[in-house]
Amino acid sequence: MGDIRQSLLPRDVLSAAKELLYHLDIYISNMVQSGRQPPQVDSKTQELVEEFILHAPKDRNTPARRMSALQELQLLEIMCSCFQEQSRDTVRQLMFSALFGLQGNQADESRMALLGKLVSMAIAVGRVPILECAATWLQRTYRVYCVRLAQVLVDDYCSLVPGSGPTLQNIHSASPRFCCQFITAVTMLYDLTTEELTPPLELLQMIVSWIQDDPRLVLINFLNTPISGNHPVNSMDVTPLGGLMRWCIKAPLAYSRDKKQALTNGSTASEPEVGPLFSALHLSVLQVLMLLPNILNEKGLFGRLALLKMESLASLTSDLSRLLDQADKHAPSTDTPALPQLALDRLAQALQVSMANRALLCSREDLRAICSRLPHNNLLQLVLSGPVMYYSPISPAMAFSPRASHSPIASHPTHPAHPPTHTSTHTPTCTHTPLLSVPRSAFHDGGAFPLQTQPLTQTM
Amino acid sequence: MSAQKDCEFLVKRARELVSDDPCAAKAWLITARTLYPADFNIQYEMYIIERNAERTASSGRLLYDMFINFPDQPIVWREISVITAALRSDSQDKHAQFLRGLFETLPGRVQCEMLLKATEQCFNTLEKAEMLLLLLKRFPESVVQHGVSLGETLLEAEASENVETPVNCFRKLFVCDVLPLVINNMDMRLPASLMQKYMLKAAEFYIGYVTRGAAPDVQIQGTQDGSLKSPTVSRSSQRYVIEGLSEKSSVVAEPWERLLDIVAAVGARCEWQGDKGQRSYVDMLQRVKELCRYLPSLEGDTRSRCCSQVVICAALVLFRSAFLYLSSVQPALFQGVNVLSSGPWILVEDFSSVYNDVEVERGAGKHAHKKRKLADGREKTMSSDDEEGLGKGRVRHILVNKTEMPSWSETLESFRTARESWDLLHSHEGLETEFKKICASWKTDSWLWFRIFLSDMIIYQGQYRKALSSLHQMAAMQQPQPGQQSPSGQGSLEHHRALIQQASCHYALGEYRLACEKLLDVVCGLTPPTQEPTKSPEDWSRVKTKTRKGNDLRLLPCTSKAVLPFCFQLMFACFKLRTFSDSRDDLSLGHVVVLLQHDWPQGEMLFLKAVDKICQQGSFQYENFFNYVTNIDMLEEFAYLRTPEGGRIQLELLPNQGMLIKHHTVTRGITKGVKEDFRLAMERQVSRCAENLFSVLHRFCINEKIMIIQSLP
Repeated sequence: MGDIRQSLLPRDVLSAAKELLYHLDIYISNMVQSGRQPPQVDSKTQELVEEFILHAPKDRNTPARRMSALQELQLLEIMCSCFQEQSRDTVRQLMFSALFGLQGNQADESRMALLGKLVSMAIAVGRVPILECAATWLQRTYRVYCVRLAQVLVDDYCSLVPGSGPTLQNIHSASPRFCCQFITAVTMLYDLTTEELTPPLELLQMIVSWIQDDPRLVLINFLNTPISGNHPVNSMDVTPLGGLMRWCIKAPLAYSRDKKQALTNGSTASEPEVGPLFSALHLSVLQVLMLLPNILNEKGLFGRLALLKMESLASLTSDLSRLLDQADKHAPSTDTPALPQLALDRLAQALQVSMANRALLCSREDLRAICSRLPHNNLLQLVLSGPVMYYSPISPAMAFSPRASHSPIASHPTHPAHPPTHTSTHTPTCTHTPLLSVPRSAFHDGGAFPLQTQPLTQTM
Repeated sequence: MSAQKDCEFLVKRARELVSDDPCAAKAWLITARTLYPADFNIQYEMYIIERNAERTASSGRLLYDMFINFPDQPIVWREISVITAALRSDSQDKHAQFLRGLFETLPGRVQCEMLLKATEQCFNTLEKAEMLLLLLKRFPESVVQHGVSLGETLLEAEASENVETPVNCFRKLFVCDVLPLVINNMDMRLPASLMQKYMLKAAEFYIGYVTRGAAPDVQIQGTQDGSLKSPTVSRSSQRYVIEGLSEKSSVVAEPWERLLDIVAAVGARCEWQGDKGQRSYVDMLQRVKELCRYLPSLEGDTRSRCCSQVVICAALVLFRSAFLYLSSVQPALFQGVNVLSSGPWILVEDFSSVYNDVEVERGAGKHAHKKRKLADGREKTMSSDDEEGLGKGRVRHILVNKTEMPSWSETLESFRTARESWDLLHSHEGLETEFKKICASWKTDSWLWFRIFLSDMIIYQGQYRKALSSLHQMAAMQQPQPGQQSPSGQGSLEHHRALIQQASCHYALGEYRLACEKLLDVVCGLTPPTQEPTKSPEDWSRVKTKTRKGNDLRLLPCTSKAVLPFCFQLMFACFKLRTFSDSRDDLSLGHVVVLLQHDWPQGEMLFLKAVDKICQQGSFQYENFFNYVTNIDMLEEFAYLRTPEGGRIQLELLPNQGMLIKHHTVTRGITKGVKEDFRLAMERQVSRCAENLFSVLHRFCINEKIMIIQSLP
C-alpha cells in the first residue's frame, strides 16, 4: 500500500486524506478476506495514516501539512460516514485501530486530538458504530489516554456548550458499552481530591440516572468481554464499580470541604444538594454488586475473579483517612460529625456487600488491615468482625438475591479455584430445595454458614 | 454483641433513615442482609419499604424471597392474605391495584402455592371458596383436583346456612365461576347424573336471578304504611346486591346466555341426542320436540336419558319464554327490566266488538246454552266443563294495540313458545313426572310471575274454571291484597289483574253476576280519567272482526283509561243477553241504555233495538235515566218516544214518578205537572251533554253497584 504515497502527495490535504481512507478501506477488507494473521496494518500503511490523515511531521525537513478548520470538519464528516457505511464489524474495528491505535510516537498527540473530535461528533450526530469502536478503544488503551478522551467529551458537552447535556445523555441508549467505559473514565478523571476534580453536577446527575434506569449498564462491558489473560496493563477497570464506590465514599467529605471553601471564598452555593445523588448512586452500586454472583457463576468465575482490587481499596481507605484527618482539622468541633460517619458507613457497606458477592476476594483479616487507620464506626466494626455465628436450625438455603430467585442458574458453579483465606473454607451443599432450585450464589457469605468452624472473634 | 442485637441495630438504623433518605435505608438493609441472610426482620423491612412506596416489581421479588425463606412467618401470611383479599375484591383503589400487580409479578408456581396455602388458612367458606377460585382460574390444571370438591363445598354451605333463595352468594360462585371451569375441563370425567344436577342448580340460579323481584323492604314499607307507594318509583333506584357479595360481583351479565352455555357444555358431555352446538333456546325446543316423537319407542337407560334431556330443555325454554312474556306483560315485577318500556297488560276476553254486534242472539246463544246447563246442575267437575269450552291447542287470536306495545310480536311469540313447551312437557306421563320433580324442588308454586303466566295460559286454553282457581292462588300471592285503594291508582291497578281476569273468566263461564261483582270491585278502585278517550279504532287489529265468534282474547293495557272501557263493555255484555230476550226487564234495559253511551255510536244499532223493545212494551220505567243518560242522541230519541208520532210511550224516567202517577191518576193537573217535570228534566239533561262520560259511567257503577248486581241472575 506504500506505493500510493506518490499519488497522494500532489493532492490537496483533504482529497489526499479522503483517498487514503478509501484505500485503507479496500486494504483492510482484503486483509480480512484473505484471513491474514495477525490482522494488523503494516508499518508502511501506519506511516501513510500519520502523514496524510493525522498530518504528523514526517521528518524535520518537510513541514507538516495542515488542514483548515473547515477541511478538518469535512474530513471528520467523511470519516463518520466511512464508519457508518462499513457493514463489517471487523473491518470497521481494524480501520479504527489503524487510525487511532496509539503507537507511542509523536503522532499520538494528533491521534488523540482527532479522536476526541470524531467521538464528540459521533455523540452529537448519533453515530453508533463509532461509539462502539471507541468503546473497544477505551478497553485497550492506557487509562491516561482514556481519561484524556473523557476530558474532551466532558469539556465539549458539560462545560463549553451549555445545554448540550441532553445530547450526551443519549449515549446511554446509543452505545451502552461506550457509556459504561465513559463512566469508568469519568470516575478516574474526577477523583474528588480537589474542587477541580469533582464532576460537574450535570454529569453526576446524568450518571446517576443512567445507572438507576439500568443497573446492569455498569456491568455491560464485563458481560460482553471474554475475560482473558491479556488484559492490558494500566488499562481501565473493566467496570466503573471501583470508581463509583470511591466517589460515593469520599463525596460526603469532599463536598463538605468544597462547600466550606466556597463559603470562605464568598461564592454562594446555589447548586442543589448532591447528597441525595450520591446516596442513590451508592445504593445502585450495592444493587449492582448483588447481581454479581449469578453473572460470575454463569461465567464460571465465581470466587476466581476479583472485580475490585485490594490495592485500589487500600488506596481508597488511605485517601479516606487523610480526608477524615483534614475534616477533623478544619472542623475540630462537632460541626458535622454525621458526614465522616456517613463516609464510613458507606465504606463499610461497600466492603461487606462486595465481599459477600465476591466482587472482592479477601478475608476480613485483610479488610481489618486496610481499615486499621480509620476512626471508629459501628457498622464498619461489625463488618470487619463479621456476623455473629448462628447455630440456629434455619435453612441455610437462603435465596437472598432477587434476580437469582427468578432466574435460577441450572449449572453448578465450579468450585473456587483459589478460595480466599477463610470466607469459604467449605462449599455449602444444598440440603433441600424449597420450591425452586436455589443457586449456589445464595451462599454468598461463608460467615453466615452455620457450620463455620472458626467463629470470628467479636471485638465489638 | 449477639446476632439478634446486630440485626436489631441494622434494622433500627434503616428505619431511622427511611423517611429522609430511603436510598441510604436500603443500602443499610442490603448490607444487613448479606451479613444475616437468615434474619427475617431485615428482609421484611426491605419489603415494607418497597411496598409502602408501591414499587411493584421489587416488592414482588422481596415477597417471593420471604415466601420461600420464611414460609412459617405469620407476618408473611398476614401480608399474603392482604394481597389475596385484594385479588378477590373488585376495588379500584390504587393500593388494591398495586397489590394485584404485585401478585402478578410472582412466578406462576409461587402464585399457585400461595393461593393454596392461603386457602388452607381461611376459615370462612365464602372467602375460602373465592380464594380457591382464584387458583382454579389461574391454573386450569388445578381444576381436576379441586373443582368438584369446591363445588360441593359451596352447595353444602348453601344447604347448611339455610339461605332462603337460590340467588345467594354460594350458588352464585358455584354457578358463575366454578361450574364453567368444571364442565369445560376436558380432563375431568363426571357422571351424567352429577352434571345434570349441577345444570339444574345453575338453571335455578339464573332463573331466580332474572326473575328477582323488588327488594323486600319495598313490600314491607307498603304493608306497614297501609298505603301502597307506587313500587316503580323506589324500584328504579334500587341496586341489587347478593348478600355476602360486593355490588359488582352481584351482577350477572346475560344470564340466559350463560345458562345456555352451561346447557350446551353439559349436553355435549352427556352425549345428548342430536345435540350439535345448539345456540338458541328455540333450536333447543325444536330438537327436543323431534326427540319426543321417538320417545315411546325407546327403552331403559336410553329412554330415561332421553327423557331428562327433553324435560330439562323444554323446562328451560318454558321458563325463559314465560319470563319474556311476563317481562312484557308485567315488567314491574322484575328488577332490571325496564319498567318504563310499557305498562302492565292483562289477558282478557275481547269485548271490543260487543256494541257493534248486531246478531245478538247468535253471539249470546252459546252462553245461553251454557247458562241453562249450569242451571240444570249438569256441571260435575270444573274440568269437564272446561274441556267442553275451548279445546286445547285451539288457536285463539290475541288482540293487542301495536302502537302501545311495540314488542307485541315478540311477546306473543314468547307466550306461544312457552305454551308449546308446557304442552310438550305434558305430552307424556314420564315427562310430566320429571317436570313436576323439577318444579317441586324449585318451589315454582311460589313464583308469582309463573303463576301469572300459568293463569294466562289456562285462560288462553279456555279452561276458565281452572283459570279461576289459578287466579285465586295468584290473588293470594299478590301483595298487597286487591281492593286496597291507592292514591295513584296505577300501582294498585297491577294488583287488580286477578280481579279483572276473574271477571273475564266468570263471564266466559256465563256467571254474569259474579263477573259484574268482580268488575265493580275493580271500577270502585279506579279514578276515571279526566279526558275522554280518543277514539282510534284503527289501532286495534280488527282484520278478522267479521269472522270472529266473540271468543278472541285481548291484551288490555293496565291503565284506568283502558280498564274502565273494558269494564263497561264486559258489564254491557253481561246484560245484553238478558235485555234482548223475550221477557221484560226494564232495569236491565235501562242499564244497557246507560252503558250503550260508551263508545257511542258503536252501539247505535243495539240502542235502536232497545228502543224497538220499549215501543213494543209501550212503556218503560228506569228512574235513574236522568242521572246517567247524557247522550244527546238518546235524549232526543226518548223525547220523541213520548210524542204522538213516537207512539206516546209511557216513560217513567224520573225518581218516584211511578208512585206519583199511581197516586194521582185522576188529577190531570198532576199529570200535567209530571209532563212538565219531564220536559224540564230533559232540558236540564241536554245541558249536561258535555259532562265527562267516564265520570258519569263511573258514578253509575259506584252508586248503583248493588242494584246492578242484583239485577243479574
